Amino acid sequence: MEDISCDVLVVGAGPAGSMTAKWAARHGAQVVMLEKRQEIGSPVRCGEGISKSWLPEVGITPSPRWINVEVEGARIFSPSEKVMEINEKHAGNEVGYVVERDAFDKALAIDAANAGTTILLKTHATGVLKEDGKVRGVRAKHFGEPFTIRAKVTVGADGFESQMGRWAGLPTNLQLRDMDSCLQYRMTNVDCDARYCDFYLGKVAPGGYVWIFPKGEGIANVGIGVQVSQVKSAAEVKSYLDRWIQKHPGYAKGKTIDMVGGGVSISQPVKQSVLPGFLLVGDAARMIDPLTGGGIANGCIAGKIAGEVAARAVQSGDASLEALLEYDRRWRQALEEKLLRNWIAKEKLVSLPDATFDKIIDALSGVKLEKLSVLNILKAVRDKYPEVTQEFEAFL
Amino acid sequence: MPGKRDRHIDSFGETCISCGACVGICPLNCIYLDEWRIGFDEDVCTRCGICVRACPVGAITIA
Repeated sequence: MEDISCDVLVVGAGPAGSMTAKWAARHGAQVVMLEKRQEIGSPVRCGEGISKSWLPEVGITPSPRWINVEVEGARIFSPSEKVMEINEKHAGNEVGYVVERDAFDKALAIDAANAGTTILLKTHATGVLKEDGKVRGVRAKHFGEPFTIRAKVTVGADGFESQMGRWAGLPTNLQLRDMDSCLQYRMTNVDCDARYCDFYLGKVAPGGYVWIFPKGEGIANVGIGVQVSQVKSAAEVKSYLDRWIQKHPGYAKGKTIDMVGGGVSISQPVKQSVLPGFLLVGDAARMIDPLTGGGIANGCIAGKIAGEVAARAVQSGDASLEALLEYDRRWRQALEEKLLRNWIAKEKLVSLPDATFDKIIDALSGVKLEKLSVLNILKAVRDKYPEVTQEFEAFL
Repeated sequence: MPGKRDRHIDSFGETCISCGACVGICPLNCIYLDEWRIGFDEDVCTRCGICVRACPVGAITIA
């Protein structure tokens, strides 16, 4: 493979990468996007639940090619399985569509390609090119053959297991408490309600939750995330999931047709997402919502900004730290307040005993909340169980 | 009692589902997921064992 050069190089063809590529190309940049695998979107490593509200702002048109099920809401189950229902209007990041994630990723890559992006499959980055303190592209292998790609702006969109950030010099390290280890079975012949995405909280999944996302026709994604700092022995995550399934006859009778695992960061986003000639985007920049574990929406929103800023840097011939900090400023403006709020909420939730989860869900199950906000939730809980909200009195 | 240096990652044995959870948590960035396979740089690895806990299916053993 001959060495090549381009304006904007995107490493990773997930949603954040394709969004970055599409918007950079639309703004006139010559874009190359690398994908290490032979097929974009596969294998799927995702619960596949997304909300709808953010799709128009990043230019994604919902399509039956990637929508499995449109759900009406979410149900949150406490440890004793009291239920709180949240309808679509009030639900957070995780409700709206259950998607066919491989088709979704391909649709976004097609958008990027149609905007002019060159896509190289079976091409993985093996290191970052740095000259005079600036990132100038990557070393890569295409069908195993080493070559280099030089770029005016390089974008790391290489997901949770990102190496680009650390190669370039941005700290993205996670502590054990900053990560949930996840496992999911796609099961058929299960008794799930296709109107809802279901979440089970408490000791069934310490520091995380069990999720049931319906795929239609008695098929569902049944998965679990457990905070790694609460894992005590090897393969415990699988044991938790198997145990949960065994205790639920509607799922125990099901058959598993697919199994996926993966890591989800539940930390705050990276402190720094930009270096001279370099941007970090999506899961790689720890933009996953630490409360819900959802990463697609934030990755796409930041990806659009990254593409716009990268294209502008190319046009102006200025890919300095100062010029690219525009990206850092804009994605923080769009996402950081919610990320921080949800991180604080998550920090509280991972330490709650089952009895408290039961009280909170019990208090909330009986009330119709006008708007799902932290304040409204606290007030509703206080009315029934004042002792639970004692330490939040200052907010109330 | 053997020191950390004497321990080694036995394998990412047959249980490995190539999910990459260990790659993201490795404090030294020494585990990688190339197209399908997980591998690690033996010279960089300190046998800290963090990846063992992060693995959802128990595929990593340190002896």
